[in-house]
Amino acid sequence: MINLIRNELMKIFRRPGTYVMIAILVVIVSVTGIFMKYNLVEEEPNVTEEWKPVLQQENEALKKQLESSPVKLEQDYYKKQIAINEYRIEHDIPFREKYNVWSFVKDSSELILLAGLFTIVVSAGIVASEFNWGTIKLLLIRPINRSKILLSKYLTVLLFALLMVGILFGFSALLGALLFGLPEQTLPYLNYFNGRVTEQHIVVYLINYYGLGSIEMIMLSTMAFMISSVFRNSSLAIGLSLFLMFTGGQFTALLSMKFDWAKYILFANTNLMQYIEGTPLLEGMTMTFSVIMLIIYFVIFQFLAFYVFKKRDVAA
Amino acid sequence: MESIVVLKEVTKVIKGRTIIDNISFEVNKGEVFGFLGPNGAGKTTTIRMIVGLMDITSGDITIGGSSIKMKFEDAVGHVGAIVENPEMYKFLSGYQNLIHYARMVKGISKEKIDETVKLVGLSDRIHDKVKTYSLGMRQRLGLAQCLLHDPKVLILDEPTNGLDPAGIREIRDYIRRLARERNMAVIVSSHILSEMEMMCDRIGIIQNGRLIDVQMIQEFVHGTSASFEFEVIPSEKAITLLNTNFPKIPVTHSRNGITMELAKDEVPAMVKVFVEEDIQVFGIREVSKTLEDRFLEVTAEKGASDHD
Repeated sequence: MINLIRNELMKIFRRPGTYVMIAILVVIVSVTGIFMKYNLVEEEPNVTEEWKPVLQQENEALKKQLESSPVKLEQDYYKKQIAINEYRIEHDIPFREKYNVWSFVKDSSELILLAGLFTIVVSAGIVASEFNWGTIKLLLIRPINRSKILLSKYLTVLLFALLMVGILFGFSALLGALLFGLPEQTLPYLNYFNGRVTEQHIVVYLINYYGLGSIEMIMLSTMAFMISSVFRNSSLAIGLSLFLMFTGGQFTALLSMKFDWAKYILFANTNLMQYIEGTPLLEGMTMTFSVIMLIIYFVIFQFLAFYVFKKRDVAA
Repeated sequence: MESIVVLKEVTKVIKGRTIIDNISFEVNKGEVFGFLGPNGAGKTTTIRMIVGLMDITSGDITIGGSSIKMKFEDAVGHVGAIVENPEMYKFLSGYQNLIHYARMVKGISKEKIDETVKLVGLSDRIHDKVKTYSLGMRQRLGLAQCLLHDPKVLILDEPTNGLDPAGIREIRDYIRRLARERNMAVIVSSHILSEMEMMCDRIGIIQNGRLIDVQMIQEFVHGTSASFEFEVIPSEKAITLLNTNFPKIPVTHSRNGITMELAKDEVPAMVKVFVEEDIQVFGIREVSKTLEDRFLEVTAEKGASDHD
């Protein structure tokens, strides 16, 4: 299996296109970083010394809103803000700090979308290209069964995704440190879950954040992989996956205003961050529900990909 | 003779159409088996089923005793093949292509790769990208790819397609040598008859998805009866005479007279018949048939009998 993955990686990294993708990712992170550096200059003095009274005032306002709010989702949100603010006052953790490397890494997570885009391109091509090149014939007449070959290809897609997100994380950390500097004292991230506030090291938090942020791209790459395997057509796989990547979220949000079943749509569940910070799309959705939905989608995609690939008469 | 590839009542149906109809044959070790048929007859489909690229609708194929259906990995491990054109990864070098395939089989050393490269005569260019290769070089790289794991069976679909005469000759000699020296069974398919004649020991003729005949190449070319051209005048009279008196002997007009099929020892009797009927005989010549004639003959015969 390791040899098969090495083969797939060789086929990816011996093509110049791959390096173009990595270069684009690096360039865009750099541009964002430089842009931020020169636009944030004025905001910096905003970090005030007297933040405790400000928070206390805010909490009182929040409490009033909490009492008057009839919607459960809103109530949860206020409760959470109040709990976190109280924790800050109690443990002396300022709520705002200078923009630093970690803030930049967190902002860069928006670019996971770009890493996802490139992963989809690779994923869509990894099976379909073999058919286009005609090399599938020589690939499938080796003493290795088809499932193993397809699995090695999927694992390669995952490795590529990991690499892209890794580059994004690593490079933005490096660039962030250069442009914005390391914070004098690393403040923990405050996590609110089930009514309790816990401290989390910022790097651990960011890695989790990136991990959860990558779920959508993994699911879409898996879908692209499935389309690639079923239809042997990389354009269709890229087109459809990217289209859904850019519009799926909005569509789902629109549908969710009117229909309850929107919660079964893939895109309603890809953003697990909604349960950790922010509020769920629809009432009644929980982390467990979303994870189960994701697993169901994943299994369907993989089943289709493997079933069709195994059964296919290779005649191209 | 030990058979290594066995096809047993193999049938392939695609979308209700029978592409391959109940084909059975065996290929022995050390022989070159030619698979001959017009385009679209089912050669490539059969080859695809042998190497497991296509499913078999009914029947079975075993290679070295293992069924390609049940024990795909064991069966296909005996096989090296080029199906249609040798498609390689063009953005990789020839050597990287070989590494790619070597990784997919256990126990192929670097030395083995180098040895194979030398064998097919690609040593100078092996580190160049495949996209810079000529068709002949790709064909050789294709051969190297299937010889890496010392297969017992070599399957080449249209191996000389698109090659120049020198390339064709090279491949042909090469195939014969492999069969002789390594006791490999080689299956080649082609629609070019003259090539098959020089390359194969036995040929199977396939038409419309049916295997209509399997013969030794010598028998196939010469057949049991030979053709003789009689230079006779008047030829019209001779033909009517033959048609009435010997309706079983096939006879046709030819450039210098009439041509008929009969055994050699019947020739004097035939001459006598002509002389008695006042037909002038100027010459008799044995016509050796080309593979092409035989092929058309056989396919026409069988085709006709199918319609009865």
